[in-house]
Amino acid sequence: MTHLTSYARSLGTLLGLILLCLLLWILTPYFLTVSNLINVVQQTSIIAIVAVGMTFVIITAGIDLSVGSVIAFSGVVLGSALAAGVPLVPALGVALVAGFLCGLVNGLLISYGRLPAFIATLGMMSLARGVALMYTDGRPISGFDESFRSFSTGELFTIPFPVLLMVVVYVIAHFVLRRTKLGRYAYAIGGNEEAVILSGVNVRLYKSAVYGLCGMLCGLAAILLTARLNSAQPTAGIMYELDAIAATVIGGTSLMGGEGTVFGTLVGALLIGVLRNGLNLLGVSSFIQQIAIGSVIIIAVFVDMMLKKRSR
Amino acid sequence: MKVQSMKQLLLIIVACVIFGSCHRENEQEHIPTIALVVKTVNHPFFVDMEQGARKAAESLGVRLVVQGAERELDVEKQMQIIENLIETKVSALCVAPSGSKEIVPAILKANRAGIPVVVLDTRVDEPTLRSAGGSIATFIGSDNFEGGRLAGEYIAEKLQGRGSVAILEGIPGHETGDSRLRGFRSVIEKFKGITIVSSQTANWERDQGYNVFQNILQSHPRVQALFACNDLMALGAVEAVAAAKKTGKIVVVGFDALTDAKEAIRNDRMAASVIQYPSEMGRLGVESAMKILNGEAVPQYTPVKIGLVTRESLLAEESQNNSTP
Repeated sequence: MTHLTSYARSLGTLLGLILLCLLLWILTPYFLTVSNLINVVQQTSIIAIVAVGMTFVIITAGIDLSVGSVIAFSGVVLGSALAAGVPLVPALGVALVAGFLCGLVNGLLISYGRLPAFIATLGMMSLARGVALMYTDGRPISGFDESFRSFSTGELFTIPFPVLLMVVVYVIAHFVLRRTKLGRYAYAIGGNEEAVILSGVNVRLYKSAVYGLCGMLCGLAAILLTARLNSAQPTAGIMYELDAIAATVIGGTSLMGGEGTVFGTLVGALLIGVLRNGLNLLGVSSFIQQIAIGSVIIIAVFVDMMLKKRSR
Repeated sequence: MKVQSMKQLLLIIVACVIFGSCHRENEQEHIPTIALVVKTVNHPFFVDMEQGARKAAESLGVRLVVQGAERELDVEKQMQIIENLIETKVSALCVAPSGSKEIVPAILKANRAGIPVVVLDTRVDEPTLRSAGGSIATFIGSDNFEGGRLAGEYIAEKLQGRGSVAILEGIPGHETGDSRLRGFRSVIEKFKGITIVSSQTANWERDQGYNVFQNILQSHPRVQALFACNDLMALGAVEAVAAAKKTGKIVVVGFDALTDAKEAIRNDRMAASVIQYPSEMGRLGVESAMKILNGEAVPQYTPVKIGLVTRESLLAEESQNNSTP
C-alpha cells in the first residue's frame, strides 16, 4: 500500500521530467537528439549511482554527508593502485572495498557508537577528504591505460558503459530493497526503529550494512569518475552529497524515513541532469542554474508534504 | 490527484519563468558562434576575461556564449558544459581548463566534432594530450613563471637581500600556481640571506589565507615578507597581519591585482600584486578563434603581458588619468 503511493508520487515526478523534456524540445533544436540524450544520461549516471546509496540511507531515516569525500578517497586509492601497476580487476576491487570501509565506519559509529548520522558522516566527510589530500599530497594522479579508460569510453550498441552500469545498479537495488531482508528492514527501521529492535532484529547490523552499501556505491562512482577524467583527484566530488540528497528527495523519498523508491531517485537524478543540460544548451548562466535547481528541490518536497497531509 | 497536477503545474511555471528569461536562438546560420568556457563565472578574473571576449565578439560581429562551473575545481562539470556546447554545434571553443590533465577527454570530444579548441590561461598537459591523440589550436596565457619571478625580485629588493619569507601556495598540482611558485623560488634561492620559513597551501581561498597565515605568524613571528600565489589568499593574510597589529611591517605580495587588492595596496596594507590581463586573454581568445575559422594561421603560444602593481604605479596611473580626462 505505502509502496503503491510511493510509486504514484514518483510517477508525478516522472511527469514533471517528461514535461521538462517537452519544453526543452520546443525551446532548442539541440535537446532531442540521440547524442545529446546519451550525454545527459551519461552525465547523470555518476550522481545517480551515488543517489542509490543515499536512498537506502535516507529510507532508514539517516543521512550520509560523506559521499563526495568517500568518492575522492576511493578514487585516489584506485588511482595509486593502477599507477603502481596493480592489475585492473584487483584495483577495482580495492576501490570498492575502500568505499565500503568508509561507509562501514559511518555505520558502526551510528549504530554502535550511537552518534547522530549527521554528525558521524559530517566527520567522515572531512576525514576522508583529508586522508585523500594527504595521501596524494594534494596532487591528482592521472594517465591510465586504455583498458581502464574503457569504463568511461566503452559502449554496447551505442549505449555508454556508465549508463549500462547505472541500469544494472538500479535493477539490483530495486530487487534488494523489495525482496531481501536488508531492504525490508531498511524500510522498517526508518518507519519505527524501536519496534524493529523490540521484534528481535539486529538493527545495528542492518544499519551498518546500509551505510557500507552506500560507501561501496561511492567506490563504484569513483571508478566511473576517475575513468571519465582519466585522473583521480583528491578534490573530486565536492558537493556531490547535495546533488545525491536532492535527487533522492525529488524522487519522493522522505527524509523522515520509511518510504521511497529507487525508481523515484532515478527520475529525480535525471530531472536535475536534464535541467542542467537544458540550461547549458540554452546558454543560461550558472547563476540561474543554481536558482532553478534550488526551486525544483523546494517545490518537489513542498508538494510531497502537501500530498502527505492530504492522505492522512 | 489534484495535488499531483498542481505539482506538475508548478514545475511548468518554474521552467517557463526560467526559460522565458532567455531568448530563443534565431536562425542566424551564417553568424559563427564562439563558446567561452571559464573555470567559474563568479571569479573577478574570469568576469574580466568574459568582458574582453564580449568586446572582441561585438566588434567582430560573432555570437559569444560564456559558461562556467559553479566551483573553480569542478572539472567534471566543465566537461559536461563542453559536451553540451558541442551538441549546440558551436563553431569554435575557447576554454580555461579547470584541470590541466582532466580536461583532455573533453578536448578529444571537441576534436572529434571538428571544433577548433583555443586554450586560455591554464596550459593543457602536453604529454597527456599527445598520448591521447588530441590537439589544440593555440594557447593564450600569461607567463606565470615570469610573474612569480617579478614577485621574487620585488620582495628581495624590499628586504635588501636579507630576511625570512613565507609563501601561501595554491592547490598543488595546478599548473598555474606551480609555475608561479617555481618562478618565485628561482629568484629567492639566489639570495643566501633570504630563507623561506614556511610554504603552505591556502587552497586559493581568502578565509584560508587568513587562517593559514595567522598560524604561520604564530610559529614564525619574525617573518618579514609573504608571497601569496593569488590575491584572495593575500587579502586573507592581510587581515591576519592587521589582527596581529603588524600592518606595514610585513611585505605582502599577491597575484592577479584584483580591485580589492589594488585598494589594499593604495592603503599600504599590501605591498604589491602581479597583474595579469584577463580581458586581453578573452579578447585574444575570440580573435584567434575567428582567425582559425577564417583559415588563417595562429601561433602555438601567444603570451599575454604581465606586470607588477605597486603603490607608486597606482598613483602614477591615477595622476595620468587625471591629467588626461
